[in-house]
Order: sequence, then C-alpha cells, then structure tokens
Amino acid sequence: MTRVIEVPTHFDDRSFDTFAAGFGEWPPAEKVLIDARGAQWASPYGLIGILTAGQALAEAKREKPLLTVPTSDEVKRYWARAGFFNQAAELFEMHGKVPRSGATGPSDVLLDVTPVRASEDVHGVVHKISEGASRILHGELGLEMKATLRFSMALSEACQNIVEHAGTSGWVAVQAYTFRRRLGRRVVVIAVSDAGVGFRRSLESTHAKRFGERWGDGAALEAALIQGVSRFRDPGRGQGLAFIKRFLDQWEGKISIRSGTARLSIVPPWDEDIPLSDHLPYFPGAQVQIIIPAQDPKSR
Amino acid sequence: MIQTIQMGHVLREAVAAPYRNLVTRPTGAAVRIRIEATLADSHCLTALLDFSEIELVDLSCADEVVAKLLLTPQTAYFLVLQGLREDHHEAIDHVLTHHGLAIAAVPPGCRAPRLLGWVAADAREAFAHISETGPLDASGLARAMSWPESRSREALEDLTLHRLVRPVGELYYPIQTA
Repeated sequence: MTRVIEVPTHFDDRSFDTFAAGFGEWPPAEKVLIDARGAQWASPYGLIGILTAGQALAEAKREKPLLTVPTSDEVKRYWARAGFFNQAAELFEMHGKVPRSGATGPSDVLLDVTPVRASEDVHGVVHKISEGASRILHGELGLEMKATLRFSMALSEACQNIVEHAGTSGWVAVQAYTFRRRLGRRVVVIAVSDAGVGFRRSLESTHAKRFGERWGDGAALEAALIQGVSRFRDPGRGQGLAFIKRFLDQWEGKISIRSGTARLSIVPPWDEDIPLSDHLPYFPGAQVQIIIPAQDPKSR
Repeated sequence: MIQTIQMGHVLREAVAAPYRNLVTRPTGAAVRIRIEATLADSHCLTALLDFSEIELVDLSCADEVVAKLLLTPQTAYFLVLQGLREDHHEAIDHVLTHHGLAIAAVPPGCRAPRLLGWVAADAREAFAHISETGPLDASGLARAMSWPESRSREALEDLTLHRLVRPVGELYYPIQTA
C-alpha cells in the first residue's frame, strides 16, 4: 500500500495543514508518495515543509518516500533554482525529470534551501545572506539600513532554535516575492523548519507543570513566543524570539510558529490569520515563518 | 593600564574562519573563554573590548560574551566596550537589561562613555556626571546633583556594584577608557 499525499496547488503556510493532514497517523505505516505534479507555486515554507516530511520519515525508519516532481517546467525550474531538488535528492526517490541544478538563482531567492545541522551552518547562512538582504530590504522594501542587520540577527536566532532545541537538523530558505492577495506589496519571507522534538517536548520537563491541564502544543508555543521561556535554566536564554517579535512590531511583520498540532502567530494589521490555531493535523518538529513587508510608501 | 582586546581577532581565532559575525552561542562561549584566558594573564585594571571589526552581534553572542563576562564572579577588571555600531548597541542593551546588568561603551569619536543595559536612574545620572567631571566623593556628588548625601551614596554604591566606577578611599573614579 502507498499513501499518496498531494502537494497543494498553491503551497504555503495557509495550505500547509492540508498537506500535513495527508499523512494521517504519524508516522504513516504505508510507503509515502508525495505528489507535486499539480503544484503551481510553493513558498519557501512549503518547500522546506516537504523536505521536513522526508527527513522525519527517514528518522522514523520508514521506507524512502517517493516524490513526483511538478509537471510545469516553470515551477520545476523555480524549485531547482531555490535549491530544493539538491536537498530532496537525498531524502526522496524522485520521479520525473528534474532540471539541472547549475542554473543561477533568481534575484528573489535570497537564500536557497540550506540545511542547518550545527552552529557553523548558522555562520554560513548569516554570511551568505548579508549582501542580498541589504539590496532587497533597503532597496526594494524601503526599510532603514539598520534593518538589514536586524534581519540577519532574526535569521540567526531562528536557525539557532534548530541547533539548540530540535535535537536534529533542519532547513532554512529566504525569498522575496509579492503578496498579491493578502497585502498587495513585496515581502521577504524567512522559513525555518525541522523534524525534531517540537516545542511541547522541548519545554515539557521544565514548564509543563506550571500549565497543568492546559499543557499542549499551543501552550508550549505561547510559553516560548509570548513569555520567552526556554528549556535551559540559564536566565539569558529565551530572548531570541522576543527580540524577533519586537523587530516585527516595528515593521508590521508577522511571525508564525507551527509545532505538532498548533500554530501561533503574531498577526499584523494587514493579515487576518487566527492568533492561535489548535487541534491541527499533526506534523513533526517545528516550522517558523517570518514575513517582512515592504513599508507603506506613505510612511517612507 | 588598559588591555585592548580586538574582538574580530578573537572571533577569527575562535571559529578558525574569516567570518565577521559574532553569532551563535557556541561561538560566543569560545570567544568568552579566550577573553577570560587573556585577562587572567593580564595585570591591567580595565579591559577594552573593541568591536570595530565585527559586522553583526546577535543576542546569543551578546549574552554569551558580554553578559556572562559581567556575571563572572570575582572579576578583577573593569569592562568597557568600544567600536560598537547602533545595532550592536541594541543587541547588547537588550540582553543586559534582561539580566539587570550594565556596561560602559565609548561611542566613536568620544571620550565619555555611555551606559548600555540597566541601572537605576540615579546611578545613570551619577555615572554621566563622574565620567564628565572626574572623581568625586558622595558629598561632592550630592552637591553637584542637589541630592541628599544618602541618595548620592546609594547611587555610587549601585555603580560600584555594577563595576562602573572605581572606588579608591572615599573617592569614586570614572573607568579609564583611554
């Protein structure tokens, strides 16, 4: 038996739950086929979500999953330029013709899909992003120059969450694109995902008692993002997400974190997302998305 | 005597790579250990950490390096930062405020340091005054600030506790920065 999981046509944080629901009980007992033939577009969050599923299946010692690549040549080329197929080749048995990976990246791929396994990788990510980030954030989005360094700091802290808390490796990708439907402006999106223990398990031993019966994926996300708690007893820990939140307040940005069966978002005025969504289909690890919109030309 | 420590040099040694970004906790810890080793062998009273070759300081590194150096018990030296950019200020100020700590930082082109982090308002004013005018005792500060002597004594004790002034007898000296 093979379980077929369809990649949503427009694959982003909003359609992610449909993708996660496809796996049913985790880990699925059957061989998994991820069918991306009908995909027309995928955000960095969607792309690294597929990789996270592949990684989680490998770590659960399941049979190597299959991945059918998008039918659309344009979509395939874009996924290739974003570095997706390079990483997917290790995790999936690929079906369909994959474009050569030598193509140069489009200007809106600020950081192609990059594995984060150790703190050295975070150095690499921050080093790689610095030049392009300034061009996009200051040049295109109209953010002040110092925003570039804050952005790199946010990226560094988000990637370190994988190294420090996940108990396994993960992925990061950064792209700029236009949010036509939700905002009608350019945005930069940081997506970070891992197949690790998730926020609930990471914080359980130190914080579950305080929450009593309320403890769960949602409460763990609240503890980390709103209260700034950490599993470490070191009082200096847990400041990274608080700092990211502060930056995003200034820029009317958005952060959302999905872990296990819950997703918590700090919702800016331009978005209509629900702050806390609970009882979602389970998905392993944690997925973080940070969206920074172009500043309103009137306020520049 | 002042011991100047080039953070860019320490970073390159710690990560064995040409990066200019002070990021991640393991990097911060490695950098801090090198600074502690340098200071252990030094007879200088003040350590000046020079960030001018550093591109980015993230919160984790600000915490691992600056906050933890200040939290080290029985520290025999005064710590001062220089060569900081505005975003460095922001990260360091954030972590120190979180811990209730403070440090002196010398802005480019200035001799008078400013404070990053958290100290009580009176201590902050007293720090600015002593940095500007030189050593004072509690009654001198009280006169200068039009405070009761008990208030100026409390402010000076606060600064001493944070290692932001150097008490010698009855006088409180500004930290040496040059």
